[in-house]
Amino acid sequence: MDNKDKPQDGALFVTGTSAATPSTRDHDVDDEGKAEEAAELLDEILELMDLDVDVDVRSEDDEEIVLDITGRDAGRAIGKKGATLDSLQFLLNKILNRQAEGRRHLVVDSGDYRERHEKGLVTLAKREAKRAVQEGRTITLQPMSARDRRVIHLSLAKLEDVTTMSQGEGTQRRIQIIPQRQGGGGGARRRG
Amino acid sequence: MEAMRELVAFLAKALVDDPDAVEVKVVEEDRAYVFELSVAQGDLGKVIGKEGRTARAIRTLLATMATRSRKRAILDILE
Repeated sequence: MDNKDKPQDGALFVTGTSAATPSTRDHDVDDEGKAEEAAELLDEILELMDLDVDVDVRSEDDEEIVLDITGRDAGRAIGKKGATLDSLQFLLNKILNRQAEGRRHLVVDSGDYRERHEKGLVTLAKREAKRAVQEGRTITLQPMSARDRRVIHLSLAKLEDVTTMSQGEGTQRRIQIIPQRQGGGGGARRRG
Repeated sequence: MEAMRELVAFLAKALVDDPDAVEVKVVEEDRAYVFELSVAQGDLGKVIGKEGRTARAIRTLLATMATRSRKRAILDILE
């Protein structure tokens, strides 16, 4: 787990001749260790919560680090509607991204939870969009997190017969799916 | 209960600029443990968060722990 002993493959990112100065090296070490640091922090929180789980780094790139929770108590770490998982993710981002430098978004997942959740959102969005068009009226969805709303906005962005908007504040913010009349006034309402 | 107190203290210390000022007292009531969190004045926003989101996230984790206990867990942030 000790990344400080990891050989430095920093050459790719190095320009000029100051590659070996301590400050440059330290920065690289900090940056490369961030995923491990995040995994350790999450592990510590889950241990304090007395949950029997393991934490691994699933993937990381320049923008994002994805952590994976597995084990007997993974379901408890997800919580009702993913509320516990979202809270863990929110706090981890708050704690680890306090300084602007080297900020990378942390995603906390458990198995395929987030993938399944997103697929569910897309299915819901398409079904409700169809209903909005068929019934010729605006449909308002349940309040959702910014991330979930984004998934829905994106999943309906290509459809020409509806637009989406968010309304309300804070935790009460909801998506509205609004049917678009085709061809302007005069009842040229789209069939089907 | 001690584990819940530790969790609140751990998270608060990780969130604030002045971890030495973090204190968590536990008040036991009939149906709940009340965790009274105090932090340096300038750090209040760090534990509460925009629209109370940080406090809500800590409360969610406490609630997850409390499902195994007979009592509810309440987080009070002292101003």
